[in-house]
Amino acid sequence: MIVGGCDLGSTTGKAAILIDDQLFCGDIISATTKPALTATLAMDSAIKKAGLKSIADLEAIVGTGYGRLKVPFATDNVSEISCHGRGAFWACATVRTIIDIGGQDCKAISLNDNGGVTQFEMNERCAAGTGRFFQVMAKVLTCGLEGIASTANISANPVSISNQCSVFAESEVITLINEERPLPDIITGINKSVANRVSSLVRRVGVNIDVTLTGGCSKNEGLVKALEKLLGVAFKRLPVDPQSIGAIGAAVIARDKRQVQLAKAASANPQLGG
Amino acid sequence: MRSGIQSPVYDKFAQLAGTLLNPSVEEWKQQGRRVMGYFCLFIPEELFIAAGFLPFRMRGIGSCGTAQADAYFDSKNCYFVRHCFDQALTGQYHFLDGLVVGTGCDHIRRIYDNWQHAPLKTPLLHLLNHPRTMGTPEMQGEPMISYYRAQLARLKERIENEFGVEVTVPRMRKAIKLCNETRRLQRQLYELRKADHPPITAAETALVMLAGTSAPKEQYNNDLRVLLAELVASPGIKRDYKARLMIVGPAIEDPNFYDLIERGGGCVVVDDTCFGARTGSAVVDEMSEDPLRAIAKFHVLDTVFCPKINGAHVQRIKVIADAIQDYRVGGIIGQGYVACDPWGTSYALLGPHLKAAGTPFLRLDREYVSTESGQLQTRIQAFLETVGGQV
Repeated sequence: MIVGGCDLGSTTGKAAILIDDQLFCGDIISATTKPALTATLAMDSAIKKAGLKSIADLEAIVGTGYGRLKVPFATDNVSEISCHGRGAFWACATVRTIIDIGGQDCKAISLNDNGGVTQFEMNERCAAGTGRFFQVMAKVLTCGLEGIASTANISANPVSISNQCSVFAESEVITLINEERPLPDIITGINKSVANRVSSLVRRVGVNIDVTLTGGCSKNEGLVKALEKLLGVAFKRLPVDPQSIGAIGAAVIARDKRQVQLAKAASANPQLGG
Repeated sequence: MRSGIQSPVYDKFAQLAGTLLNPSVEEWKQQGRRVMGYFCLFIPEELFIAAGFLPFRMRGIGSCGTAQADAYFDSKNCYFVRHCFDQALTGQYHFLDGLVVGTGCDHIRRIYDNWQHAPLKTPLLHLLNHPRTMGTPEMQGEPMISYYRAQLARLKERIENEFGVEVTVPRMRKAIKLCNETRRLQRQLYELRKADHPPITAAETALVMLAGTSAPKEQYNNDLRVLLAELVASPGIKRDYKARLMIVGPAIEDPNFYDLIERGGGCVVVDDTCFGARTGSAVVDEMSEDPLRAIAKFHVLDTVFCPKINGAHVQRIKVIADAIQDYRVGGIIGQGYVACDPWGTSYALLGPHLKAAGTPFLRLDREYVSTESGQLQTRIQAFLETVGGQV
């Protein structure tokens, strides 16, 4: 069975294809102003990696993420919360808590022993604790997102960022720059500030091990370290790209749905079932 | 979601709910009669009806923003009062002959303060002190009733003196019967939603309930009787829903909020909200020799209370537990808008309680007048996928 998942996030598009149990992830595509185009670019990349001819080879595709209703080739759509849950559990069956930090929101998701979502929490309507916050800070510090994420910039003397609002925090960081505070101190302070914000969400659903981090911000080692320290747990590193977990989960759900569909068709018409 | 029921009375309700100066209010005013605005559920409509007024529950419907009201409120004040006040400042409440503001939450109270200082020429403006507590053991019962009765008597006297009207006991009795009939009919409307496939959607129910906040009671009751007969005779709305839901929280004026949930696969069967089921949760004693006392008793002891009342949490838990059983509720959405501190703090108790009881609970913050947002949709969809057990 060949199925796919496409995760249209606020800043990137991701696609994954499952050929039976073999996974192929496409390149992470920067979001364009046309969601359908972003979805197509992401899926084309996954199709190429899977060695398929075209999208017609896929039997079912689930769209997810903020643009889930705009994935032109999706046969169904599922929330990114369910997809991140399913994707992380598929990648590692011991995961019970998922922290997904994406471009414009962050979520804490709790799973039961069967991988079902039992509870979730999302950030309120502001950029604090999300990838957007890092983008704003990287611009002010002129260090790029790589600079924020680099382990070389982890400091033992982080500054304290008191504002959680991105706009006010930006002003605070500008003040720190003008005080000539060392860059690693500021960057570590920024990561700690986001970790603080995210940790309160996680505590609401409960810190049940294994805990894993997904989404684009999972590649920020400074944030990972700060969050691990705050929550007092070592995160489970997934054997797949954590930024593509939503798309992977969407593909797994597409497979499940297709199997149910085929089983129903077979029971309705036993001859077709062979 | 619309059930597709063809009903002229439903269309009338939708029209009444959709604007402040609706056809009923216009007709009433054209007859040279008076309208009394009021905030919120603890205010006695019966008194206004007995004095010859049309009771008008204050709303923010039609508001496009809060630019004018923002000058009067702090960032900590909620958007319900801002939208309502903005409507007043932009002249949408010019038809009011009086406004009675109850000592509800602090946000509602600021409406009274600001109404005094803003350039609004409402002939009567009154702050009605309603007890903000279920009462200590020694205060419960008679002392609470006596206190509120005295407040109502003061309001009655003021209306009589300032408008030259007489609020007689027979008129109050008649008004009590009228309002009780509204409550009973609204209860019947909710009863219909206990069915596997209710004949009316949550958004449609909301419009019927909202229409009752500004229509003359005789007319509203007659129309509601017609609608109920039509609904009883109609088949339920056949749809595959993922879960039966209850919505709790403060005022919902925008039926699109219910639509958003039902389009996502939820079936909202009951609520505990300001303009919803809480309105008809009990009736006033029609046989009392002292109608004013009966009204006071209803509002301090008998009705369902919102979290502005200290000590109402136990009652709320029971209301929710009963609804879960009676309406076969599978999940609860606790909604609210920014800065609604009574409900916000209430959810801090309610959320863990429901979690411990194994009832799925989603806490949702929304805008007051516009409910469409990607994040809201995602939360609702994810909740339904969780409650329904299938994605």
